[in-house]
Amino acid sequence: MRLSGKVVWITDADSPAGKTLIRRLAGEGARFILNSVSGGDALRDELAYCRGIGAKTAVACVDLCRSAEVDGLLDEAAESVGSVDVLIHNNNKVVPLSVAEGREEPFLDVLHANAKSAFICTQAAGRRMAARQSGTIIFVSSIHAEKPTGSSFAYSVSRSAVKMLAREAALELGRSGVNVNTIEMGPVEGDDATFASAISTLYDDYHYKVPNAVLGTFDDLADAVLFLASDQSRYINGAELRVDGGFVLHYMNHKMKKPQKT
Amino acid sequence: MSLAGKVALVTGAGTGIGKGAAVELARRGAKVAVNYRSGDSDEGALDTAARIGEAGGEALLVPADVSDKREIDRMASKVAERFGGIDILVNNAAVQLNYTLFQHDGDTFDREMNVNLKGYWQCIQAVVPYMKSRCFGRIVCMGSVHGKRPTDFDPVYSMSKGGVKMLVRESAIELGRWGITVNAIEPGAVTARWPLVPEDEELANNPALIAKFPLGRTGRPYDIGHLVCYIASEEAAFLNGASIRIDGGSMLL
Repeated sequence: MRLSGKVVWITDADSPAGKTLIRRLAGEGARFILNSVSGGDALRDELAYCRGIGAKTAVACVDLCRSAEVDGLLDEAAESVGSVDVLIHNNNKVVPLSVAEGREEPFLDVLHANAKSAFICTQAAGRRMAARQSGTIIFVSSIHAEKPTGSSFAYSVSRSAVKMLAREAALELGRSGVNVNTIEMGPVEGDDATFASAISTLYDDYHYKVPNAVLGTFDDLADAVLFLASDQSRYINGAELRVDGGFVLHYMNHKMKKPQKT
Repeated sequence: MSLAGKVALVTGAGTGIGKGAAVELARRGAKVAVNYRSGDSDEGALDTAARIGEAGGEALLVPADVSDKREIDRMASKVAERFGGIDILVNNAAVQLNYTLFQHDGDTFDREMNVNLKGYWQCIQAVVPYMKSRCFGRIVCMGSVHGKRPTDFDPVYSMSKGGVKMLVRESAIELGRWGITVNAIEPGAVTARWPLVPEDEELANNPALIAKFPLGRTGRPYDIGHLVCYIASEEAAFLNGASIRIDGGSMLL
């Protein structure tokens, strides 16, 4: 039990990554503050699982870009499950948007959903963690904090902004005993559709651009999150952990591992 | 590296690095539209225009608040109307509030992002049609060393500069097919108050500076301006999506 008694706040619990994280971290003794866009409806199975193993949960649906709502969530949850020990920010909105033609509204939607929410959540969790001189913040980000998408510039811009937030917070909150790290997740099944591009060939044959030709899943993400949330990572601060099987290193297409016959 | 016949738009050109870029572009023959924030005093921009005149160039003052797309679009049309097109955009106008993590709030976050990031993007949008029509364009975005290394004094500023890094990379792969290059300059500390402190004066008076700046001095707006001119030139046609750190080596310490 590597997270015994720790209170973990997941900011987008309804997402596939969020659901995987709940199950994995619950099994390690975590309790949860879950921000759920569906107000818990989409989490029936996960909440039942948590009840079954005795993992306390507080479920809410707040606007993560509004400090007052976020503070309210954490204050209420402090009563029922305890003060937040681990913030996992995993909001990850992707909307196709070109530089030349994109409209302002979806640009701001993506920037706010991914980056402004990260900022407001970091302030709220950071204040509480700094007061206790202890805590961990993990941003679930993407290889697109560095690699352009050719399909959603607003997305990669927002991911890169979060990368700098993490580095800043690692300094400022690091002085108060808080570690702040980023996971740069690589492709999972379906990302060729999510990032379908007329400009970039990045996701062509994406299964095989991973050197071992095995695509990762949200379970791989959960393993990395667990490590960063646990006490085993106390000297890791301000780091970016790329979890992509080596995908972004691909270069010589003709050397790719051949598709396996199933 | 002649820029004769080219038309440049420099945002935030009434002061600092923007002024340096505008003057250096004009010195090499470009006609320069000098942007400053509408509502602000035009004193700095008039000074920039005067320096451009002294360098034998032609300037046009174009006030606009780059956090407002309508003002950006009006600015771009005005430049194109007067000079017949736009070949070079220098995205430089930025806000730096110097608030710490806990001093910022949602509104100050928006203020910095709407100028430093949304403004850069929408200025690109506004000039692209003119560049496409000539199959030539040079877009230079003023990033910062703080797009990579944290500031420890304003997290939203570095978030915006991190965003600029990806705006440049995405724009570079999207706009390249029209002969438009998009690159970033990452200046370190630049002494940007005009009149400028002479370099030798700084070198003589601040021996301790060498501990932070291997060349013994901070940057000057013309240091950045020279690099802007190279990126804007015909010779730099194959430079695209790059970030060039220009800090006298200080980030290596």
